[in-house]
Amino acid sequence: MSNTSSNLHERQSGSSTFDSQSSDEDIVLECRNLSVAFEMDRGTSRVLHDVDIDIRRGEIIGIVGESGSGKSMFASALLNAVVSPGRTDGQVTYHPRDGEPVDVLGLDKGPLRSLRWEDISMVFQGAMSSFNPTMDFREHFVETLDAHDYDIAAGIERAEELLSDLYLDPQRVLDSYPHELSGGMKQRALIALALVLEPEVLVMDEPTAALDLLMQRSIISLLSELRDKYDLTMVFITHDLPLVTKLADRIGVLYAFEFAEVGDTAEMVRDPKHPYTRALLNATPNLDAPLTEMRPISGAAPDPVDVPTGCPYHNRCPMATAECEDIKPPMDAVSETHEVACHHWPDVDDEIPLSTGVQK
Amino acid sequence: MRVVWNDARARIGAVLVLGFVVMGVVGPALVAEPRVGQAPLLVGPFQGGIVGGRWYELTSTSLFGVSVPWVALHWPLGTDNVGRGILEQIVHATPRMLTMIASAGLFVTVLGTSIGALAGYSGGRIDQLLSTVIDIVMTLPGLPLLLILVALLEPKNPVVLGVVLSLQGWAGMARAIRSQVLTIRSTSYVEAAQAMGLSTPTIVGKEIVPNIMPFVMINMVNAMRGVIFASVGLYFLGLLPFSEVVNWGVMLQLAYSNGGLLTVDAAHWLLVPMVAIILLSMGLILFAQGMDRVFNPRVRARHAKTTGDSEETESTETPTRAVSMEGNL
Amino acid sequence: MYEYFVKRTGQALFTAFVVVTLSFALVRLMPGNPADQLRGQLIRNNPSLSQQEINRRVANYINIDYSAPLHEQYLDYIAGILRGDLGQSISQNASVAEILGQALPWTVFAFSVAILLMFVVGIALGSIMAYWEGSRFDVGTTGIGIVLNSTPNYVTALLFLYVFGFTLGWFPTSGHISSQVVPIVDPLRPVATFQFVADAVYHASLLIAAVVITGFGGVALAMRGNSIQVLGEDYLRVARLRGLSDTRIALRYVARNAILPMYTGLLLAFGAVIGGSAILEQVFTYPGLGYYIVAAVEARDYPLMMGGFVLITLAVVIGAFIADLTYGLVDPRVSTGGDAS
Repeated sequence: MSNTSSNLHERQSGSSTFDSQSSDEDIVLECRNLSVAFEMDRGTSRVLHDVDIDIRRGEIIGIVGESGSGKSMFASALLNAVVSPGRTDGQVTYHPRDGEPVDVLGLDKGPLRSLRWEDISMVFQGAMSSFNPTMDFREHFVETLDAHDYDIAAGIERAEELLSDLYLDPQRVLDSYPHELSGGMKQRALIALALVLEPEVLVMDEPTAALDLLMQRSIISLLSELRDKYDLTMVFITHDLPLVTKLADRIGVLYAFEFAEVGDTAEMVRDPKHPYTRALLNATPNLDAPLTEMRPISGAAPDPVDVPTGCPYHNRCPMATAECEDIKPPMDAVSETHEVACHHWPDVDDEIPLSTGVQK
Repeated sequence: MRVVWNDARARIGAVLVLGFVVMGVVGPALVAEPRVGQAPLLVGPFQGGIVGGRWYELTSTSLFGVSVPWVALHWPLGTDNVGRGILEQIVHATPRMLTMIASAGLFVTVLGTSIGALAGYSGGRIDQLLSTVIDIVMTLPGLPLLLILVALLEPKNPVVLGVVLSLQGWAGMARAIRSQVLTIRSTSYVEAAQAMGLSTPTIVGKEIVPNIMPFVMINMVNAMRGVIFASVGLYFLGLLPFSEVVNWGVMLQLAYSNGGLLTVDAAHWLLVPMVAIILLSMGLILFAQGMDRVFNPRVRARHAKTTGDSEETESTETPTRAVSMEGNL
Repeated sequence: MYEYFVKRTGQALFTAFVVVTLSFALVRLMPGNPADQLRGQLIRNNPSLSQQEINRRVANYINIDYSAPLHEQYLDYIAGILRGDLGQSISQNASVAEILGQALPWTVFAFSVAILLMFVVGIALGSIMAYWEGSRFDVGTTGIGIVLNSTPNYVTALLFLYVFGFTLGWFPTSGHISSQVVPIVDPLRPVATFQFVADAVYHASLLIAAVVITGFGGVALAMRGNSIQVLGEDYLRVARLRGLSDTRIALRYVARNAILPMYTGLLLAFGAVIGGSAILEQVFTYPGLGYYIVAAVEARDYPLMMGGFVLITLAVVIGAFIADLTYGLVDPRVSTGGDAS
């Protein structure tokens, strides 16, 4: 364990932490105690709870969670874009390739405006409705370049290249209106729009949710190509664990507004240690798996106003003990590149066998 | 019904509509029929002041042989230039008004939903034909046609009058229903319900009606509002046969032509029917908005303020559909 | 694009055809129809006239020759309308086309201004209400909007006439210009032209105010609803994240997408308001189309009545047609066959 890690242990104070890497790792986004809360009539709804994670430069990290697990809030919080009345606490530090680290949550309106899209860009889950229906695509690109004082001619050239990289006909797309393109085309156009200002980080929130399977696969492979060509860091947020295993270098599983398990994709697929991750994999329809072995996860996602004490998964977990009900499991290192928040992770192999292996 | 009552607007609307219904049903039995010369001419409203005036009198009446305290009213809203009580006229005009509105609402709803549903469900040529008809009917400027029809037909029966005056109103409803049917047909939940083996009546009752109801209510209320405005307007112009009919429009016409605009003495004669018109149509509109909340689960959820999951920020609000943009008349 | 124009033109022509046919049916075929009534009037007033003379006079008044077979009567009637011949007024001793031709510009002037103002005021208020959703301003204006929306414009008209016309005497209570003003629009005589226009506006102002006051509430509430919906759209969130300026978002995103669906509403409003001109023009004794239609109905002047109906309907059809075509220009979704609902 390096120096950094021991420091981290002092900061940990019961909250989940993931940072098994040493400081010479090139970190681009650093989240500490990141929380998002909404005040509601029946109490405070905490939709992201003291999340710590480091996103490394040039990686594709997959964030997986069921709906209502806080994953969209995590995406918004990375850009300090949580809509009011939501409150974002903690720290998000952006480390540019050169220059001083930026405190994303502490930025004023002006610098925040230029940070978004220029440094950290985002693709939303609703690509179908992410474009102004009464404006053609060219104008979308032009106004974006214009708002950030970029050179428009050069920017449009870049947009054309990006669109070609995404296997779209640039001229046709630029002169079209949103309703004239199919969902998959719009999704790719939106990715091009997100990259037109050459950001370093691209956050994608369910970018493939509304697409058919073939289109999902093709977008996944396009994203890898883009990452290599433009040196991008990607945060890929989805509910679809098998899908993200095809793309991500690392996977983080969110449960009940915090990370349950984080690790390299290979380890997460071959040997996940959290019962929830295993349940997710076992619930996944796989053509090779016999139907009897596919199990839906019983129980419902926890209520953000009233998160269970102890391990938040205990009331759905077949391995839960009295300890789980009372004591919140800290992040425990399984290996150098794999951490899990579970009291009983060493026993998980016996208790919950993996019914199916998702091939990377 | 709780939902309706919890919404201030809907509450006002329900009270107003109910008030008019009570006035129409019970009113004529309680209030004397307006007759020429039943009172002094052009008495002002609340004669002698609202408190302690001469317009009311504390007496007693016998109810089942028991003497109970009673308030006798003497032309509380004043009288017109031939000595008829204003309140009496307003009250006695209400049943006809309600009959007319109800028949118009029924006519518009039946025709509008059936034609709209037919167009939406059948599709193809029938849809094209019906849509063209709907478009044309909607384009026609209503009032001139009504003027002519009314001049030719001279309808006296309130039911007939209601139907004639709403001859155009069904088109808007048909158009809304058609597009709703098209939307609902293509939504997955109806398909899912069918796949789940739910019976057709269940699907219609549970899935389709709640989705269509707001549009029905709102178009019906708009048609009713149109009929109130048009009938009162036509009576006001003196184009509907009105010699033996009491109507708020007739009151307006008489007040207007007898100098209601020129003297303060007759102002109440003009104002009271105006207020009646506004309150009734306002009641209908507010009530329709309230019903929108009852039938629209999304708005209802918003109201109950129990949005548990903030993951998907629910920001859909049904636009205030109950208000027509088409100007008033 | 092309297909859209052809389709709309076809529909407008078809509507016009239906309207004219409808008017023929009303004049000629309805029980107690004007043609029969007119014949009856003529026979009662001039018992000595021969059958042929009566038919000739009827034909002169309403373009319908009783001696011809029905389909010929119909074709002649349509031909007459196409020539601009709407028959002869019985009560006014002038041709219907002449009377209505003089009245039409006044109605179009007053009501175009009124509808334009109504939409400008309504849209401005509606967007402010949407931006401040739930504020006291929003709640108050919504309430006022509903009350005004429940008020027929002739009621407001009567009140305005009473207060500003008769009681305060600020505005004229009848007519469309003062008697001493010469109706002239001539760029070479700007002073006289200005005097005329100012006087015309002055005379129409109470009427315009009545339309605007009762109409803007509905427009504002519709605009409010549309804006709130647009404000919740994904593309608005994306636009904000992209760092677009507030002005651009307000105008190019919210306003444009909220106003566009109201364009067809404007078109319907035009028909409805012009149609409703009858009562308002009567209240203000403003001699426009509606005024003459009402006068014709009162005098049982059938040629004038039917002519007014045909003209006012055609005006609305043409207005709707223009709106349809221009809508295709402003909303990209229409002309390329997208869903612009």
